[in-house]
Amino acid sequence: MSTFWIILTGALVASTCGIVGCFLVLRKMAMIGDAISHSVLPGIVIAFLISGSRDSLFMLLGAAVIGLITVFLIQLFHQSGVQSDASIGVVFTALFAVGVILVSMYTRNIDLDLDCVLYGEIAYVPWNTIEIGGVDIGPKAVWGIGLALLLCVILITAFYKQFKICSFDPAMAAAVGIPVALFHYLLMGLVSVSTVASFESVGAILVVGMLVVPPATAYLLTERLSRMILISIVLGCASSVIGYYLARMLDASIAGSMICVAGGLFLLALLFSPTHGVIFRKIQQKRLLA
Amino acid sequence: MPVAKPLFIILAFAVLAVLTACGNDKAATGEEKTIKVTTTIGMITDVVERIGGEYAEVTGLMRAGVDPHLYKASEGDINKLDKADIIFYNGLHLEGKMVEILEKMAKDKPTVAVSEKIDRSLLRTGAQIGLDTEFDPHIWFNVQLWMKAAESIRDALAEFDPAHAEQYATNAEAYLNELRQLDAEVAEKIKTIPEQSRVLVTAHDAFGYFGDAYGMKVMGLQGMSTASEAGTKDVTDLRDFLIDNKIKAVFIESSVPRKAIDAVIQGAKEKGHELKVGGELFSDAMGEEGTPEGTYIGMVRHNADTIVGALK
Repeated sequence: MSTFWIILTGALVASTCGIVGCFLVLRKMAMIGDAISHSVLPGIVIAFLISGSRDSLFMLLGAAVIGLITVFLIQLFHQSGVQSDASIGVVFTALFAVGVILVSMYTRNIDLDLDCVLYGEIAYVPWNTIEIGGVDIGPKAVWGIGLALLLCVILITAFYKQFKICSFDPAMAAAVGIPVALFHYLLMGLVSVSTVASFESVGAILVVGMLVVPPATAYLLTERLSRMILISIVLGCASSVIGYYLARMLDASIAGSMICVAGGLFLLALLFSPTHGVIFRKIQQKRLLA
Repeated sequence: MPVAKPLFIILAFAVLAVLTACGNDKAATGEEKTIKVTTTIGMITDVVERIGGEYAEVTGLMRAGVDPHLYKASEGDINKLDKADIIFYNGLHLEGKMVEILEKMAKDKPTVAVSEKIDRSLLRTGAQIGLDTEFDPHIWFNVQLWMKAAESIRDALAEFDPAHAEQYATNAEAYLNELRQLDAEVAEKIKTIPEQSRVLVTAHDAFGYFGDAYGMKVMGLQGMSTASEAGTKDVTDLRDFLIDNKIKAVFIESSVPRKAIDAVIQGAKEKGHELKVGGELFSDAMGEEGTPEGTYIGMVRHNADTIVGALK
């Protein structure tokens, strides 16, 4: 059974991240997942100082609040004219630094780092189950990330047009009367919720990777947003399945293997994509010269 | 946007996974005389091997030199945890988030925190913030505390496998005797260091129990977590202390990078105090398997000899 739960969790993370990741890649904010993975440090320290416990619920709450503040600040700075990469960089390094100061001031004598208290490990997902009325209803991660996926699917389907125009051409979106800022904040909120929920269950590398690599791969393979989202979900799920069996073969980290497979798929797309692929473009260039 | 398609694909993969998973589970049934034990850190693995003897098949998750704070699980670990009849771990948050999982697994199979039975008043407290007191998890540095951990292991094995309870008790008695001798031996050795030189300086704060048990002042450069970094003031404070007290050596650890300790040595040198690296101590992980330091007793002996050799 554990194989099933791990692959399912991987696929759910891949789908959730694939959906929001496409919008992030289009908006040149792909590294926001990595930013959140660092900036939540002050959140967990403050949550620990208030609650006095390293219980994952408090850690998750602290992380979620700071995650939202992170994306809010990034969006705010970006709208005030700071380049997107610079605003991501400024916000997450500054917040992470606050976290480092807090750790060194208040919690020197306790093992409080992100790896220990927040980031989960996908290998342990099958055992971290929820019970309702004595009945085991499956791993917590599957429900948590499943809910995040549901939320993403509902919101993105309901406002697909608005999200799309806002990502490609904010000026035009504003001209036709779409509240651009609102949709930006909504998307960022969605990113924050789904990443923090996934960090807690599967760790940072899987989330950050799935947020960037499959969407970037899909970007090479199609020009249409709806197809890009679908392709990135499919690639993400395929990476989870292949990655899991790669990890089994090598007896290695599962999350690491999944992202390696995703990276391998990206490389294939980069070389062989019919439209953007390096090889096909070389062939085309030769044809044009001949 | 069509949503049905990706969901269908996920479902298809899921069905595939279930089929393969079922195939794996069948292979495990068969006649077994020994009980399968899975352990986290090497120190526990060693004790369980000694007490379990021929009746326990012990698999350790963390290999030599692995820092339990920063341990990354691999795919094989799932099987090791899944197939185990009983699991031993240190507890007190040493294994990080894994402890939560092990506590949850307790409803399927016995999972035993070897630190659990130890009287909390014997433990060193870390942070006193909030309601819960956090305890220092590095209990194996005090051999007497580790004997209590060994007793918990003996009791848990006997309870789980009563047919061999007597053998476990015999093995444990022999092992506990060795530990008792080890404890006396370490105490004896440390006493040979001149009193004002009984200062143990290491990179991270793991040796508190050692200091308490054998009468040494312990100073760590970093906090408890191997992930936190030493501040500038920590380095200068420690340097000044070492110069003032004419301490001859500081120590590096097998599972922690030596960078911070090198900074202190450099700093002392600039002030004209010759400080040397007293040797490598095993802190959060034991030595390679097959070497004397690859066992708990060998590791403690190595640490004591290294400390005495450098400070005497």
